[in-house]
Amino acid sequence: MPETLEIKRLDQRPMTESLLSKNKVKFLGLGSDEIIKYFFSGSAWTAIIVLALITFSLFREGAGFFPQHHDSLKLYRLAGLEFVDYFRDQMTAQASLSRYLNELKLNKTLKLQAAGKGEAEIESLLAPLEQLRLDFDQAGLEGQALLDEMTSMAAGIKDRYTISEENRISRKQLIDAGMKEEADLLEIEDIDFAKEAENLKTTFLPKQKEVSATMAAKMKSLLAATKVENTIYEAEVNRFKATVSKYITGFDSVQMKMQDWTHDKPVPFYESITKFITGTKWVTQSFWQDWYGIVPLFIGSLTVSIVALIVAVPLGVGAAIYINQVASIQEQNFVKPFIEFVAVIPSVVLGFFGIAVLGEGIRVFTQWDMMAWVPGFPIAERLNIITAGLLLALMAVPSIFTFSEDALNNVPKAYKEASFSLGANRLQTISRIMVPASLSGIISAILLGFGRVIGETMVVLLVAGNRLEIPDFSAGLMVIFQPVHTMTGLVAQEIPEVVKGSLQYRALFVLAIALFLISLLINYVAQIFVRKYKISVG
Amino acid sequence: MSNAPTAIEVENVDFYYGNSKALHDISLKIPKGLVTAFIGPSGCGKSTLLRCFNRMNDLIDGTSVKSGKIKIHGVDIYSKEVDVIELRKRVGMVFQKSNPFPKSIYENIVYGLRLQGINDKKMLDEVVEKSLRGAALWDEVKDRLDDYATGLSGGQMQRLCIARAIAVEPEIILMDEPCSALDPIATMKVEELIDELKKKYTIVIVTHNMQQAGRCSDFTAFYYLGKLIEFDRTEKIFTNPSKQQTEDYITGRFG
Ligand SMILES: Nc1ncnc2c1ncn2[C@@H]1O[C@H](COP(=O)(O)OP(=O)(O)OP(=O)(O)O)[C@@H](O)[C@H]1O
Ligand SMILES: [Mg+2]
Repeated sequence: MPETLEIKRLDQRPMTESLLSKNKVKFLGLGSDEIIKYFFSGSAWTAIIVLALITFSLFREGAGFFPQHHDSLKLYRLAGLEFVDYFRDQMTAQASLSRYLNELKLNKTLKLQAAGKGEAEIESLLAPLEQLRLDFDQAGLEGQALLDEMTSMAAGIKDRYTISEENRISRKQLIDAGMKEEADLLEIEDIDFAKEAENLKTTFLPKQKEVSATMAAKMKSLLAATKVENTIYEAEVNRFKATVSKYITGFDSVQMKMQDWTHDKPVPFYESITKFITGTKWVTQSFWQDWYGIVPLFIGSLTVSIVALIVAVPLGVGAAIYINQVASIQEQNFVKPFIEFVAVIPSVVLGFFGIAVLGEGIRVFTQWDMMAWVPGFPIAERLNIITAGLLLALMAVPSIFTFSEDALNNVPKAYKEASFSLGANRLQTISRIMVPASLSGIISAILLGFGRVIGETMVVLLVAGNRLEIPDFSAGLMVIFQPVHTMTGLVAQEIPEVVKGSLQYRALFVLAIALFLISLLINYVAQIFVRKYKISVG
Repeated sequence: MSNAPTAIEVENVDFYYGNSKALHDISLKIPKGLVTAFIGPSGCGKSTLLRCFNRMNDLIDGTSVKSGKIKIHGVDIYSKEVDVIELRKRVGMVFQKSNPFPKSIYENIVYGLRLQGINDKKMLDEVVEKSLRGAALWDEVKDRLDDYATGLSGGQMQRLCIARAIAVEPEIILMDEPCSALDPIATMKVEELIDELKKKYTIVIVTHNMQQAGRCSDFTAFYYLGKLIEFDRTEKIFTNPSKQQTEDYITGRFG
C-alpha cells in the first residue's frame, strides 16, 4: 500500500478565499490579461490598417490613370498624330526590310570569312546584294523626308495645344492669386482642330500618294533588275522580293486609311482600358506620343518566371523529397540551413553575380566551337531571359524547398510505415504515398515560389536586359536568350524620373496594382491548396 | 512447451535505440499457426520487439539489434542476404492507430499488389473481395469500394487495415494494439476476426487488455522493463503464473 502523501501547498489560503481574491496586478486600470489582449490585437490592427492604407493609396493614385489615358488617346487623334502614324507604319516597315538586307549581308560575310575567302573576293561575291541594299534604301528617302515634314506639323499642333492648356491653368492660378498683369501675358490659343485636320489632309494626302507611287515604282524596277541566280543568297533574296511585293500592295490600304481618317471620330472610354491591357508598346516621355501597353512587360515577367520555375521546381521539390525521405540526419543538418541561407542573400548581390559571372558565362558557353551546331548560337545578349530566370530560380528554391519539406513532414508517419509494411521500397513509398499525400502542399509551395519570383525587382532590373519589346517567339526555345523588360523592373526604373501626377506616374501605379492583384491571386490559389491539403491529411 | 513448429525464433536479442538499450537478452519461440499475445506495462518493449519481426525499426535512424538472432522459418532475418521487401510481404503488420491511405477502399486493399506490378483488374477485384471477406468487412463496404477509406468508422478502418495486410498473403501477421482505439463492439468484431484468421496465419498481438489476451491467444509473453519475464501457454499465465511479477501484473496489483 502506498503511504499517504502529505501535499504541502504553496498557497496556504483556504479555497474560498483564494477563488475570490482580487489581488491581480493592475496597470492603468487594466488587468494583465487585458493588457496582453490589447497589445496583440493592437499589433494585428496596425498591420491591417497599414495594409489598407497602402491598398487605398495605390488605387487612389492609379484610378486617375484611365481618364488621363483617355485624354491622351483623344489628343492623339485630334491633333492628327494618328493620321501621320498610318504613313509612319509604312515607312517603318520599309526600314525593317532594309535592316533585313543589312543583316543578311553581315551573315553572309561571316560565313564566307569562315570559309577562308579573301576580302576582295567576298566583296565581289556580295556586290549585287550590297547594290540591292543601297538602292532599296534610296527608294525610301523621299518618303522619309515627307514623313518628317508631316511629323513636325502634327507635333506642332499637339504642342500648341498642350502649351495653351498649361497656360490656361497657370493663368487661372495667377488670377486667383490676384496677379492679373502677369496672367495677361500668358497666351492662350483656341485651336481649331477641324481646320488643322483639313489642312493636314489637303497638304499631305496628294504628296503621300505621289511619293508612295514613285516608291512602289522604284522598288518594282529594282526587284526586276536584281539578278541573284546561282548566288549563295538566292533563296533569301527571293524571299525578300516576295515580301517587298506584298509590302507594296499594302500601300493602297494605307492611303485608304489616311483618306478616311477624321479628327473627331470619338474615342470610346473603354479604349483607355483595353489599350492598356492589350497594348504591345510601352513608350514614355516621347515627343510624339506615349504608349502604355502592359503586354510586353507582362510577357517579360511571365517568361522570366516560367524559366525560373522550370529550374526551381525540380530542384526545390527534389531536394525536399531527398532531405525529408532519404537523407541521413547529418545530411539534413547540413543541407537544410545551407538552402535556407541562400534565401538571405540580398538580391542585388545576386544580380551583380548574374551580370558578372552567370550572364558572361552563358555567353562564353554559347561561343564555344562545339556548341556552334545549336541554331542561334552564339548569342548576342549577355542579359536575357535565361540569366534572369536562373537567378530567380536560385531565389525561389529556398521557399519551394522549405514549404515542400513542411508539406512532406506533415504527412502522417503512419502512412509511410503502412506502405513499407506492405512491401514497398523507398521509391514506391515516395511516389505513391508521400508525394500524393502532400501534393497540394507542394503545389502551394510552388505557387508561393512563383509569387516570390514574379514580385522580385532587383534581379530582373539588373539582368533581364530591359528591352521593351515582346520577345520573338518564332525563335522557338531560343527565345530564352532574348532580353525582356518586366513589370517590377520597369516600375523601379521609371519611378525616379517621373513627374508626380503625370500620366506616366499614374501608369506606374496601375502597373503596381496589376502586380498587387497578380500576387494576391497567386496567394489566394495557394491558400486554397493549403486548405484542401489540411483536410486530406487531417 | 508446445509441439507446434516454430514460426519466429528469438535468440538472446539485445536491441538499442541509439545508445539506450530497449530489449535485454530476449529469447522465445513463437509457435506457428497460433496466436501469441505480448503483454506488459507501457514502455516495456513490446512494440519494439514486434517491430523487429518485420524490420520496421530499420526506418528509425540509429537502431540496431546489437547481439542475438531473430529467425523466421529458420532464416536469420537480420543477415545480409535477406531481402527486406520480401520479408515484409511475408510478415504483415497492423498498427495501433488504423492508418488507411488517403485513397479509396479499393485502392487501399490493392496497394500491396500494385507495388508488385499486378494491375490485372480481374485479379485485383478477386483479391479485394477475398481480403474484405477475410476481414469481415465485405458486406459493409461492398457497395462503396470507390469511397474514400478515411470516411469509414474507426472499427471499419482497422478491419480495412487488416484486409490490406492479408491482401498480400502474408504468413505471419503482427498486430500492435489493434483494438486500443475501438469501442467494445468493434473490438469484439476484430477479436472474432483474429479467431478466424489464426486458422491460416501465425498471429502475434500486442495488447494492454488482459481479457483480450486471455480470450484470443494460445500463448502469452509478459515483458517488464525490456526483459521477457515469462512466456507460456495463456491458461497457465492467467491461472498459475510461475513468476510473482506476472501474477501482480495480471491481477492488476502493479502498474
Ligand atoms: N523511436 C524511439 N527512439 C528512442 N527510444 C524509443 C523509441 N521508441 C521506443 N523507445 C523506447 O523504448 C522503450 C520501449 O518502447 P516500446 O514502444 O517498445 O514500448 P511498449 O511496450 O510498446 O509500450 P506501450 O505499451 O506504451 O506501447 C521505451 O523506453 C521507449 O521510450
Ligand atoms: Mg507499443
